[in-house]
Amino acid sequence: MSSQRQASSASQVPHLSPAELSYLYTSLSLPKNPIRPDGRSPTQFRPLSAETTILPGTNGSARIGFADGTQAIVGVKAEVEKTVLAADTLDSRSLAQHGDALNREGEEGSAAVSGQGEWVQMSIEIPGFRDDDALPVFLSEMMRESLVGSVAGGDVDGAKEMAGGLKGRLVINKRWHWRLYIDVLLLSQPLAYPLPLLSLTTHLALLSTKLPKLKSTGEEDPFFDDDWAAAEYLYPRSNTSDPSLSAAPSYPVRPPVTLLVIAVGENVIFDPNREEIAVADAVLAISVTRSSDSETLKLLSIRSIDPPSRLTQPGIPNSENVNMIGATAAPGEESGGQEEVEGVWRPRRGGVKRGVIARMVKTVLGKGGVGEEVLEGLEGVEVQ
Amino acid sequence: MADRRRINGPPGGTRPPVFASLQESSTDIANRAQRQRQPTELRKIFLKAGLIPTASGSSYLEFEPSASLAAARSNPKSLIPPSSALKLACTVHGPKPLPRSAAFSPNLVLTTHVKYAPFAARKRKGHIRDASERDLGVHLETALRGAIIAERWPKSGLDITLTIIEAEDDRWWGDAPDSHDASWGMMNVLAGCITAASAAIADAHIDCLDLVSGGVAALVSDDSSQSASSAPRLMLDIDPAEHRSILSACVVAYMPARDEITELWLKGDSSRAALDRNDGRTGHEALIDGAVDAARGANTVLAEAVRESIARSFA
Repeated sequence: MSSQRQASSASQVPHLSPAELSYLYTSLSLPKNPIRPDGRSPTQFRPLSAETTILPGTNGSARIGFADGTQAIVGVKAEVEKTVLAADTLDSRSLAQHGDALNREGEEGSAAVSGQGEWVQMSIEIPGFRDDDALPVFLSEMMRESLVGSVAGGDVDGAKEMAGGLKGRLVINKRWHWRLYIDVLLLSQPLAYPLPLLSLTTHLALLSTKLPKLKSTGEEDPFFDDDWAAAEYLYPRSNTSDPSLSAAPSYPVRPPVTLLVIAVGENVIFDPNREEIAVADAVLAISVTRSSDSETLKLLSIRSIDPPSRLTQPGIPNSENVNMIGATAAPGEESGGQEEVEGVWRPRRGGVKRGVIARMVKTVLGKGGVGEEVLEGLEGVEVQ
Repeated sequence: MADRRRINGPPGGTRPPVFASLQESSTDIANRAQRQRQPTELRKIFLKAGLIPTASGSSYLEFEPSASLAAARSNPKSLIPPSSALKLACTVHGPKPLPRSAAFSPNLVLTTHVKYAPFAARKRKGHIRDASERDLGVHLETALRGAIIAERWPKSGLDITLTIIEAEDDRWWGDAPDSHDASWGMMNVLAGCITAASAAIADAHIDCLDLVSGGVAALVSDDSSQSASSAPRLMLDIDPAEHRSILSACVVAYMPARDEITELWLKGDSSRAALDRNDGRTGHEALIDGAVDAARGANTVLAEAVRESIARSFA
């Protein structure tokens, strides 16, 4: 059992018979218009309910529940911590400054000001899994890498504070920084691959995260305003001067969203449920965010996920089935057990073509694509 | 989770003293590791299969040390090596019957285990696998499961263990982490793991669709002075110690005979790639294509190593 659990997506292999898998695959791979078991369109997400700022003891929190009963809660906590320059990265700049007093240009805009990825810690708790099992570790690394990797494009006016991405935002001054703990709790059994749920919840929790307002300046020890009402958002909001436009707060920079995309035959399908992912030819997790300097979405990371279809049980064609001898009209004399027979399930083998990957990414990133739709939908959630 | 059963060394590791005078001389541009290869030129790979007699399949892989490392070895100026070169060993045990307690599986159950030796990186690694090592294990498993024909071994297990003897750096050792900093060295390690594991699986005579090999490509911007004006360039098979900032990198596991990718891991901002004007590809497509080219290069070495091991087993 433990070896089964090692697998990242194998834990999700549903107990479907080869006949059911074959039926699902055929209906999902119909050219142009796949038929999904729950009647959604290929790019449609499951309905969900979301709320933010539900946990008073955190800096930011969110809850999302899907209609099928899966729920996740995310709490974000921040701590002030002293910056320790890793001893193996000798601060060459400060050494240089000791020697050369004239060299002042590096005073503020350099080494210490850019943050480090380790300052963001993420832990994922999934019922039935140990915290060092492959699935939680893989999911948290996947979400963390797009989070700390997202570097804002340029210093556009509103995005000044986010110049170094989230990592840069966590810097207080050269000696102090924030450490961010993102704790993700899946409340229900993982019915489907839980990535989209966890990613959307984390996104909302980060949007609602507030840090206390800093009162000290420069290189002083940090000292904060004790009025929580004055706290600033981790992801700054641009206060639009035109009040008619500011129905929903707009963010120059947004946290990334990781979408789960599967390819079945020629079709690209979003937000697969457990049965759909079981027959996928390829599964990709694609992280996107909206960049401040352009209208288009920016790709942050792609990871392929092991499709569970590789672990399914093969079906046996009638020509080889001992129970069916005599029932079939003409037993194939050539069948070596390796040929693809129409309507008989075979576990997927091999990988994915480059064209398919390009098509999957394009569906996410394109103008009016699914990525924009998801981000717009998330903007609709009111974040206090 | 603290390791209480062994007497461990200091958690932070120890390193030779570095003096300020030495530091000044080593931070100048001459001592910084620089890429001497062409953007599309790959490092040489040493790959030999079947070195460990007790395992059913095994392999050993080594990347060619960079030019600056070779120079520093022959003519040492500093106690600190300027870069490191990947060295890893892979063993395959199996196919063997699953334990009695395990559930029935119609397919070969693959278990991958990637472990850095405590001395592999500049910072010491513990004996228990940390999150990044487990993450690498999952990536490797995805890459290999696409290539192995698993239904030929029902109710069996296959254990693949990789020991990283020397890992790649994430950046040049003297640099403080900057905004583009990430664990880029891990991507090279993964590519090496895929190639080595593929050779070891072939050495264990396990049926595969094709030899799967790993390749890395990255977008790097080297000149810090005019980073705004100069667009990042695509390079194959990077050594992270040789570059100032890596914007984006991609690893693929690729099967040339089927032209298929079994594992893809891309991270970073690939939107500002400098491509030809008449090149219709976007940044990430160019990255994936570059990584596939690198994997094709590694595949020639892999095929040769496998041929050698087959010849030895019949001799």
